[in-house]
Amino acid sequence: MSPATDSARFRTVADKVRAGEPLAFDDGVFLYRYPDLLAVGALANEVRERLHGDRTYFNINFHINPTNVCEADCQFCSFARLQPGMPQAYTMSLDEIRGKLVERKDQPVTEIHIVSGLHGGVPWSWYTDTLRVLKELRPDIHLKAFTAVEIHFFAEKYGKSYAQALRELVDAGLGSLPGGGAEIFADRVRRKICRDKATAEQWLEVHRTAHRMGLRSNCTMLYGTVETLEERVDHMLRLRALQDETGGFQTFIPLAFHPDGNRLDKLPRPTGVDSLRTYAVGRLMLHNIPHIKAYWIMIGLDTAQIAQSFGVDDLDGTVQEEKIYHMAGADTPQVMTRTGLIRLIREAGRRAVERDTLYEVRWEDDGRPLPGIRVEASVPYSRHRKRVELSVL
Amino acid sequence: MATPLRLCAVTFLNAWPLYQPLLERPPLDEDGEPLFSVEEALPSECARRLAAGECDVALVPVASYLEHPEWEVVPEVGIAARGAVQTVVVVSEVPLPEVTRIHLDAASRSSVLLLRTLLTTEGLEPELVPAPHGQGASRVRGTEAALVIGDAAFELPGRFAHHIDLGARWLALTGLPMVFAFWAARPGRLTEAHVRALHAARDRGIGQAEPLARRYCEQRLAAGLPAQDEAFYANYLRRTIRYRLDSWEREGLVEYIARSHELHLHDAGDVHVRFAAREHEGVAAARRARAPLRVDALLQRAAAGERLHLHEGIFLYEQADTLALGHAADQRRAALHPEGVVTYIIDRNVNYTNVCTARCKFCNFYVPPTRKLQEGYVHSKEVLAQKFRETEALGGVQILLQGGLNPDLRLEWYEDLFRWTKQNFSLRLHALSPTEIIHIAHLEDLSVAQVLQRLRAAGMDSLPGGGAEILHDEVRNRISPFKNTTDEWLEVMRQAHVLGMKTTCTMVFGFQETAEHTLVHLHRLRALQDEALARRRAHGEHHGQFTAFIVWPFQAEGTRLKLRDDTSPWRYLRVQALARLYLDNIPNLQVSWPTLGPEIGEVALRMGANDFGSVMIEENVVSQAGAHFMLTAEQIEHHIRAAGFSPRRRNMQYDWLPEAAQ
Ligand code: SF4
Ligand code: SF4
Repeated sequence: MSPATDSARFRTVADKVRAGEPLAFDDGVFLYRYPDLLAVGALANEVRERLHGDRTYFNINFHINPTNVCEADCQFCSFARLQPGMPQAYTMSLDEIRGKLVERKDQPVTEIHIVSGLHGGVPWSWYTDTLRVLKELRPDIHLKAFTAVEIHFFAEKYGKSYAQALRELVDAGLGSLPGGGAEIFADRVRRKICRDKATAEQWLEVHRTAHRMGLRSNCTMLYGTVETLEERVDHMLRLRALQDETGGFQTFIPLAFHPDGNRLDKLPRPTGVDSLRTYAVGRLMLHNIPHIKAYWIMIGLDTAQIAQSFGVDDLDGTVQEEKIYHMAGADTPQVMTRTGLIRLIREAGRRAVERDTLYEVRWEDDGRPLPGIRVEASVPYSRHRKRVELSVL
Repeated sequence: MATPLRLCAVTFLNAWPLYQPLLERPPLDEDGEPLFSVEEALPSECARRLAAGECDVALVPVASYLEHPEWEVVPEVGIAARGAVQTVVVVSEVPLPEVTRIHLDAASRSSVLLLRTLLTTEGLEPELVPAPHGQGASRVRGTEAALVIGDAAFELPGRFAHHIDLGARWLALTGLPMVFAFWAARPGRLTEAHVRALHAARDRGIGQAEPLARRYCEQRLAAGLPAQDEAFYANYLRRTIRYRLDSWEREGLVEYIARSHELHLHDAGDVHVRFAAREHEGVAAARRARAPLRVDALLQRAAAGERLHLHEGIFLYEQADTLALGHAADQRRAALHPEGVVTYIIDRNVNYTNVCTARCKFCNFYVPPTRKLQEGYVHSKEVLAQKFRETEALGGVQILLQGGLNPDLRLEWYEDLFRWTKQNFSLRLHALSPTEIIHIAHLEDLSVAQVLQRLRAAGMDSLPGGGAEILHDEVRNRISPFKNTTDEWLEVMRQAHVLGMKTTCTMVFGFQETAEHTLVHLHRLRALQDEALARRRAHGEHHGQFTAFIVWPFQAEGTRLKLRDDTSPWRYLRVQALARLYLDNIPNLQVSWPTLGPEIGEVALRMGANDFGSVMIEENVVSQAGAHFMLTAEQIEHHIRAAGFSPRRRNMQYDWLPEAAQ
């Protein structure tokens, strides 16, 4: 490859993107290797703006992890404790689970994200009741619960088909499926990093089943462990194929591998450039999945801000109300205030949109001054808007 | 047509150079109308009239400003003294500690506040009673003293057993000059023309010390008053009183306001003076050219290395998409540095003292001189030796040495430190920002060039570009009114280049500066670099220049500036990319990863930067404000590779170090 043929090739790929043609496997690998990072970003940004204009979505949710006991033993996992009774292993009672929501009863939370380990030592009813107690308390709340890996585990453990397990969970209050557990589909990688959980086919089959039942779901990709760039592109293509079939995925979420406290901690963290490129390539390869989401807890707020120009239209992470944030008095990277997030979005020249789980708009930034944002530095750089004057101290 | 500003000046001799030229040759506006109508009064009366709205501009005692923070102060002009002032004195028949009552001779608030500051510091509490102008000295008897200000004080030396010059006392206490009065104006009245006229009057007045002294003498004799000889008054005007408020006087000013506040002598909380800003002529000229602009056409031109005009830069800053800016900057970088190499340096940032008089609002590092015993430090040679040894052990080639403006540290201290460093270590000294050089020059009463020469002879290799923040006085006046001005900063760099030193230049954004401020900053750096490059072409490569530009966002945590400006990485990347395009004559652009994190650093390498900065072994000024990134050389190389470049170590001159040395 020479620079000249490279840029000619890039133009061909760009033409395909603009014509709405799906990109081929080779195109994806090429985009990963193409030296001009910003050109790839700008192309992804074109798609992003065609689909979503200057909107950047966020929603207010919180996470419950009812247990960290897990029968699997994934290399990259810093969460699971293998046996009940091991130090730091826990399994919540239904009361404790309910308590998590009670704690937040004054917050305008619209969604609870529930993910657990694979704990076979509890009865099936514990899982369904988890949903039930939460719904009893807040019938309107959306429960996005259980990854495909968990659903597959339930099916095996409790002798149900995927459809059956899903049906019973829906009856108990399940609203949609999160996208976790996909990691990298390639067998070579799965054998190395997560050999004892659902295979690629099983993962995809759970989502296929869910989509057929009318459930929406998300999908993820764990990058930065032992996979090759080709394996990442292959992963994306498998997701794209299922999406062509069912149309049930809402959002693709690349997850940066975190080397802390697990057995892969010799590996470096994915670099900023790698993350941005992965968002951009994801946006370009997955033309049929509406949203690309960045988890700022994983990549940091700074990179997340920049990612908004590399294909990302959705930012996720725990957003808390000012009051609580100030009581805690801490500026932890785990928690972000609502205004802080809006500010970050505005600074990048985008318009913040609060959504619910199914992307219904709940609130839209109209650029008005917000408490806690003294300078409306807001939106000076967007091509969609006129500059707002700074109020000078 | 504007009506002239009503200006009220003080009748004292020391004010003559500031306003007599206004009477002799009244400055006119563009329409030929006078800019000022001048009247005269005593200092306290001047302040009263200004407060009451009976005039627009007045020469007021500094302390009266404390009650009127809305006033706008004319920058770089005032009445000050470095030590003995002769015309603010306390006279008595007994030593000061035995004095029970002091008569205040129609004194200004400034001199009274100064007196109380000095008394309180010494634990003295005599009774202070007002007396009419001209009567103070006649009430001195027994344990009763008088504070006499103005011309009446000329006649006092030798008349009383004890004669205390408050200017001299202040210098002894703080090591700093005392500012007594400045021009203040009701807000919104001053225009550029007025400020320029008052500066011009001052410059003319200083040149007329002798004629003014003669006239003063004649007036007194004609009125049958005692008088000294002309030379005495001329000397007073020429040497004793300083009419320029440069950064040294401003250090004295902030010390005065802050100290008296710490002693609870007034309750004007945050120390601040609102100086009016003046536009630089080069900038005014650059603003003129206008043509319809298009973002892509401009970016294309800039990427190809064509020079951007000031208004084009502003336009791009406001309109261009960040990725498009970055892309053009990346092309520019590739043209300037086609090797695909990104450099970095192993050095250590050592802050030799945290004691500082300047009290910048955005700084959470300094300890004011009044608290130096509790919290201040000056690193000893043992501490420094330890740090230097560690640096060498880590493969470091340079020390970045910066600190506060500490009046206890004299030029010899630095010379000795530099010589000692050179004798004992093989480290280059990238030392002392312009702010510190200016401070030392004033402290020693030497020129900037002299200080640079001596420090260079002692071992200083190059100058870091700190203390620039935003090089636009509108912003500086707001965030650090007592620190050096834009012109002062640039002058140090000019002198350093003339002497053959290489320097860097910096910018800190996030002070609510506008696109205009940001671009003027870049514009003035570029203009100075043009000068330096012309000098090198004409006189040889041994002359200095800027080697690199570094920009980073202001870190507000823990500082007194409660700004919530946009200091996001997004804006950082925009400013940096634009800087690559605008600064077409500065070769290197350094990423500031310690404030932004290495991930954004990688992205910045694809948006115009070609240097990853330093393995920060220590960085107090930033880390105090909450930046906590640390990287090893291996990690830096990893990030450089991630961005698609090959890493290479360098020295301050941006020479690559031999591979073998790595
Ligand atoms: S299945 Fe999930 S919880 Fe269990 S080890 Fe793997 S990643 Fe961790
Ligand atoms: S920024 Fe520098 S000059 Fe200003 S207060 Fe801090 S140490 Fe002193």
